[in-house]
Amino acid sequence: MSAWRASALSVRGLTKTYADGFTAVSGLDLEIPDGAFFGLLGPNGAGKTTLIGSVCSIVRPTTGGLSVFGHDYRTREARSLIGLAEQDINVDRFLSVRQMLIYHGGYHGMSRQAARARADEVLDLFRLSHKADARAYELSGGMQRRLVLARALLHQPRLLILDEPTAGVDVELRAEIWRLMKGLNAAGTTILLTTHYLEEAETLCDEIALLRAGEIVARGTSSSLRARYGARDIGELYERAMAS
Amino acid sequence: MTAVVAFRAERPAFLWLLEREVLRFLNIWRYSIIGPVLSTVLFVIVFGNALGRHVDPVDGVTYGRFIVPGLFAQAMVNVGFFNGTTSLFEARRDRYINDVFASPLRWWEVNAALVGGGIVRAVIVGASTLAFALPLTGGSSIARPGVLVFGTLGLLVVVAQVGVIAGSLAKSLDHVYSMESIVLLPLGFVGGVFYSVSTLPHAWDVLSRFDPVFWLVQVERIGFLGQGDTSPAAALLVVWALAALLSAWSAWIFATGRLKP
Repeated sequence: MSAWRASALSVRGLTKTYADGFTAVSGLDLEIPDGAFFGLLGPNGAGKTTLIGSVCSIVRPTTGGLSVFGHDYRTREARSLIGLAEQDINVDRFLSVRQMLIYHGGYHGMSRQAARARADEVLDLFRLSHKADARAYELSGGMQRRLVLARALLHQPRLLILDEPTAGVDVELRAEIWRLMKGLNAAGTTILLTTHYLEEAETLCDEIALLRAGEIVARGTSSSLRARYGARDIGELYERAMAS
Repeated sequence: MTAVVAFRAERPAFLWLLEREVLRFLNIWRYSIIGPVLSTVLFVIVFGNALGRHVDPVDGVTYGRFIVPGLFAQAMVNVGFFNGTTSLFEARRDRYINDVFASPLRWWEVNAALVGGGIVRAVIVGASTLAFALPLTGGSSIARPGVLVFGTLGLLVVVAQVGVIAGSLAKSLDHVYSMESIVLLPLGFVGGVFYSVSTLPHAWDVLSRFDPVFWLVQVERIGFLGQGDTSPAAALLVVWALAALLSAWSAWIFATGRLKP
């Protein structure tokens, strides 16, 4: 076996044109190393969610190839390695919080016993144990956000994709999510984060890519990008990169 | 290079999704089970028992016994269709389906689990309906068991697949509910549930044969009573051809990624 490790995510020439003719992503190339904390920034409609949807088999790319830890993204192996927390609170309204987590584990091939044990673990981790028998729609907004994150982590993915995980949450929960993300990354989980909070990306991510109209216009560490664009802070960097 | 480790499920993911589909309708059992059984049994009591006494036997069979196979078919058609439609539409609307698509479940497993959920619900409702309807109408004999078994299996596949297809196409709750009242209900009423189409004028008799529900009713009627408006072979052939056609359509929707949240 050779010494190099496959990238956590490799995207080659990804293009997605929707049925109405709108091209959300055009010829996008992206390589995220194993173990990275990678931030994806861009305005609404830049193609972030389309890229994430393509990686997670929710959106079917028009052309291009994607692989996850060396596996074609369409394979069961690739999909078992990804955890996704979407921007929307997309929960199963017919199941209790605990059942939802257990069934998610099941969809990822876990045994009933393992899925139950792991569900109790993440309920505890996200301080949701007291709401285990409630329906997701009965939870507060912050709890629902925690539940979506708990579900993404349940099957212990190696690549965690978080689409604006702190949008609309209070300061305490944001700090809690930051701590959790840092801990997971330190333990070896690769994280792909999209966010509109520039300081969040700067604080958490080793590397940042700026996406505009479906294309990556800049990529690098926060400090290298600031130097390249002669920007004093990430806000200025963002404005200049988007205007260039 | 990272070692290629094949995905191996400790318990098939398909079984989990099928179980979830069954749990979904069991959680709302008053609506999903009791309601359809009660309304069908009321039809049997009112039309079969109360009014049926004043109606002449049809081909030597009392009117009560005559309508039971059709009502049995209609009950399964309604719940089998509606189960797939509502389950899939709600999963798309709430975007919960994304959690399923992003998992290692294969497209045909998702399709099969949704269809399986509709079939289980239709079997529960159908069996419960018969448990009340047969004693009420004094007819528990099965004239053609083979036709009944294969016909019912075909019917279950047809209605569950139609439900899933409709659930994949529906864009709003209005679409979901209007399909039941504008499409399913009229097709049921003109499908020969309450009468033999041979008693209709020739043109209506011919027209009835373009109604898929007519064939679903026929396999049940021939199975229970041994006679219908068509031959057993023709009824089975049409029902299974429909099942194959709808399964292919449904598979195409799932396999080609046309199912959108």
